[in-house]
Amino acid sequence: MAKITTSNFQKGLFIEFKNDIHQIAEFKHVNPGKGSAFVRTKLKNIRTGNTLEFTYKSGEAVKQLPVYIREMQYLYKNNSHHIFMDQKSFEQYLLSEVVTGKFGQVLKEGEIYQVYVHESDAVGIRIPKRVSLKVVEAEEGIKGNTVTGAKKTVTTETGVKVQVPLFIKKGDVISIDPESGEYLERIN
Amino acid sequence: MPSWKDLKKNPGLWRNLILRSEIISAVREFFSKKGFLEVNTPLLLPAVIPESYLDVFSTYLKNRRGIKKRMFLAASPEASIKKMLVSINRNCFEITKSFRNGETDSNLHNPEFTILEWYRLKADYKKIITDCQDLILHIYNKISEKFPDQPNFKHSFPPVIRYRNSSINLSAPWKKISIKKALEKYSGISFADITGGQDSADPFTPDRITAFARKKGYSFSLNTTWEQLFNQIYLNEIEPNLVKYGKPVIIYDFPKPLAALAKVKKGDNRLVERFEFYIGGIELGDCYTELTDFREQKNRFEKNIREIKKYNKTAIYPDQEFLECLKTGLPECAGIAVGLDRLVMLFADLADIKDTIFYG
Repeated sequence: MAKITTSNFQKGLFIEFKNDIHQIAEFKHVNPGKGSAFVRTKLKNIRTGNTLEFTYKSGEAVKQLPVYIREMQYLYKNNSHHIFMDQKSFEQYLLSEVVTGKFGQVLKEGEIYQVYVHESDAVGIRIPKRVSLKVVEAEEGIKGNTVTGAKKTVTTETGVKVQVPLFIKKGDVISIDPESGEYLERIN
Repeated sequence: MPSWKDLKKNPGLWRNLILRSEIISAVREFFSKKGFLEVNTPLLLPAVIPESYLDVFSTYLKNRRGIKKRMFLAASPEASIKKMLVSINRNCFEITKSFRNGETDSNLHNPEFTILEWYRLKADYKKIITDCQDLILHIYNKISEKFPDQPNFKHSFPPVIRYRNSSINLSAPWKKISIKKALEKYSGISFADITGGQDSADPFTPDRITAFARKKGYSFSLNTTWEQLFNQIYLNEIEPNLVKYGKPVIIYDFPKPLAALAKVKKGDNRLVERFEFYIGGIELGDCYTELTDFREQKNRFEKNIREIKKYNKTAIYPDQEFLECLKTGLPECAGIAVGLDRLVMLFADLADIKDTIFYG
């Protein structure tokens, strides 16, 4: 475990905060009026996905944690855990659905994901900005309904239901924001 | 960060710079109507006030014989304006550039920034609170008339603006909260617990505050000062709450280690007569009833000079003339520094100070 100070802060770095693994999502320097320098950070707890803010004294020592990103194939879900397989070592890793959160609902079996590993445990998963999903069930859009912003619910290949505009049909591929579960656009 | 290239590509960015210009006009109009004298003080100085939390820009002036003399860029016009106040019996204001080295990588700081300062004679910090309320409303009224299609405010009553998804009602009176109260309310700490009561011989020894820091999980070492721990608690536990009032907030009566050039409060020598005001969570201004006691100022000078050396900040020449001038008698006065770029951030609803400044 390496000790670093706030001057080594970088976005994406893994550090220990209150005995848990956090990733630096943002950091900014501040000087309160007529006071010494501080560093405001947004820290993402990679186990829970929660983000919190903390302000460090400039120059304060912090523990950097050796967390690696490994490419893993998603295999299946077993009770409350998602099972992944490391592409190089073929070892299997468990990730709790608490960690994957909403993203867990759009994981596709057989696809490759980037999983955070600390010591010998999978501790988090890198969530992309958007995910594409195939629509497997959709009602026909009601003809003549031209109300702007009108929505309907469709079911996608992973079983997750999404609110989409009326023109989306069965067989379409749509892009959604995996953190909010919101529809972004039609891809095909 | 608009440069000429950005402005050429996206002329819409001019809107923020025009807003900036109108805000500055409104400030000038406000103070000239009140009979304040607009002053101009030097930016290139042979000596500066020692302020250990700042790093200054230091350079050389070469004379015609090639002899070099160290000079500094002003970190604020405060000392120069006070030197003027010694000999002129008028309220003064200045809009100028100030320079602070090292203040990069922040959405609220830029090494070169525009500062507004004003000073009132025979006044204390309470009078400046009224000025702040009036000034901000004056700016609001002026620019809301001139920019009828600005998305974050309309010319209306009550005067409400939106900044970063929070609504702020600018009308007076603003919310006022003392540091003591805020500390109790948001941190669960009584001021007496971290200073040892009104007649404590050594209120700012780090021992008492480190006990709370330990409980709250803040780290510290032997070199950590009372000021650092206090400010860390303030920034983590108090400041984030100030945006929640939906009004501008005055936070007042600061602990003495954060005194700078403020006068000690009558009746409690652990505090100084200083306030800061926040709108939409941005700290916009810092005001004091000005310290006029030259002996006290001399002590603070010496303490700051020691700290500048200890923290390896850029070496300075302390402004002895400033002490000299206090000795001849600075009239009782109160003054404030307001970040003009931050005021533009607020009215233009911008998250980053760099978007308010033209980069050439």
